[in-house]
Parts: sequence; C-alpha cells; structure tokens
Amino acid sequence: MTGGDSQTLDDELQAFVGQPMRGGPSVAPDPVNQPMIRHWAAAFDDRNPVYTDPAAAAASRFGAIVAPPLMLQTWTMPTPVIEGIGERGGAPVASDGSGPLAALDRAGFVGTLATNSEYEILRPLRLGDVISAMTVIESISAPKQTRMGESRFVTWLTTYTDQDGAVVGRQRFRILKFAPPTASAPSDEEAGR
Amino acid sequence: MSVRANEVRVGDTLPVMNVEVTPTVVVAAAIATRDFMPVHHDRDYANAQGAPDIFMNILSDTGFCSRFLTDWGGPETMVTKLAIRLGVPVFPGTTLVYTGAVTAVTSGVGEALVDVAFQATTGLGEHLTGTATVSLPV
Repeated sequence: MTGGDSQTLDDELQAFVGQPMRGGPSVAPDPVNQPMIRHWAAAFDDRNPVYTDPAAAAASRFGAIVAPPLMLQTWTMPTPVIEGIGERGGAPVASDGSGPLAALDRAGFVGTLATNSEYEILRPLRLGDVISAMTVIESISAPKQTRMGESRFVTWLTTYTDQDGAVVGRQRFRILKFAPPTASAPSDEEAGR
Repeated sequence: MSVRANEVRVGDTLPVMNVEVTPTVVVAAAIATRDFMPVHHDRDYANAQGAPDIFMNILSDTGFCSRFLTDWGGPETMVTKLAIRLGVPVFPGTTLVYTGAVTAVTSGVGEALVDVAFQATTGLGEHLTGTATVSLPV
C-alpha cells in the first residue's frame, strides 16, 4: 500500500467517526425469549435458576424470569445469511459497502478480531422485551503493527433501548481489522515492502 | 453456595472457575450468542486467517464472565458493569481458568455494589483481564 493510498483511506475512515453504523438502529429479530435464554445458559453451563425456572425466579428479587444481563449483545445480533458468509469475512449479512468495515475490507483488512467489550447494564431484560441497538463509530485508529500484522482498531458505542425507548444498557466494543496472510495475493509493490 | 453480601470484604477471592475448552464448547457458545463467524466453528477457515484452530468469540467470554460472577454472587446477582480486554486466543484443548478478587464494596439501599477484578488464563497465557460491578441483595 502506498502512502498516498493510506492517506486517502485515512480520510475515508475518519469521515465515519461519530456516524451511526447501518444507517440507524437495528431491532432485535425476536423479543427476549425463553428458548434463546435456555440455549445460552446451556452453552455456558450456567445453572442460575432465575434464567429458566419460573418458580425460582418468582421467589427472587427479580420477581420473574430475567435474561442473563450480559446476554445483551446477543439479542440484536442479526440473523445470518449462511451462504457466502466465509467470502464476506464472517459478516452475517451482505454489506451495502457504505460503512467503515467495508472500506477496511476493500483496503485488504478483511480479518476481524474482537479485543475489548465494556458493558453498562441499567436493568435486567424480561421475556417479551423488544431490544433495539443504535451503534455509533467512536474511533478508527491509524495503522498499527500488531501480532496480526498491519492492523487498525475500530471502536463503536452501542446504546440498547427497549420497546418504550428507554435505555437498558450501553456497550463499547473494539475490534482489530487486519490483513490475513492468505486473504489476498500481495501486489509486487506490497510484496517488496 | 453463594456469598452473603454483608460478609463480602475487599480482598476476598472468588472461587476459581475452570472451563475445559473443547471444540463443542467453542461452537456451542458461539452459536448460542448468535455469532456465526466461521473462525469460531470452521478450522480450515480459521487456518486461512492465520489461526491454528477455531477460537472462542468475545460474546462467549462475556458469557463465561457472567457465570463466574453469578456462581459466586448467587442467583440474585445483577451484573451492572463489565469491561474485558482480550489477550491470547482460546483454542480447543486448553483449560480456561478464571480467578478474581473483590476490589471495592459500597453499601446501597437493599443492595451492596461490589467491584471485582478478574482474569482468565490458558496454557498459552493470559486470555483476558476484566473488571465488573455487581449488585448483591442485602
């Protein structure tokens, strides 16, 4: 990659800072529900009865079944289109190519690793809650050398709201976008750097 | 058996939690968190990305952190804050070991807010470090 290309990419990326991802809020495909909670609890061998046992939950300070508070992000994960997910670098659905992650993909940073996740939970979710996520890009770093090679960190802040528009939690999330070794054949210029 | 909120003191250690990480654990947790990225279930794909095997996704880390905190704090634990930073990846065939300690206790109305600092390590080194705040009923 030449210095000029890098500067152009920097300009393109910085324009996304402060902007919403996906053009606006995304609504959870399903309301908070017992089957997904049960599946989650089983996967982590989490036997907390307030997640799955109505009687135990009723006797607790929660008064009824609650979702695991830290399951928050799972509710608004998009339903994936499995076909082609590998070719999309793991993106669950096809991008319209307009966002910062697509811009990084085009620049060869097709690999993705999550590095940080920070939650603030305002209330436990209950069966039937309909959660929406509004995500805003907080920062995109200059290129850095990491153990994955040349990489950029992308940080976003998601605000989760319920069916009444009340905020139920916030999450700051950071990923590393990097150029995997076999994802694309380097040009002669890149191979010689 | 869970802790009693009014007996929690700074410096208390949480019971160690060991997770024997198999491919099934990685895949089951990835799918339960609705994360279908192939690096979490397809070893060939992970290899092409430069990883020696599939590896645990960050939503699963959050899930195991949740269990680590509530197994100690009890069923009525309400996690109000969590921040984790990832280090080395978690591959199948390792044991993930969670350890942590209480760093602050604040009394509230009907509850105690307890800060915990914790880490999870594998045979490869430190997988994550984190802090959390939980509300325990009193």
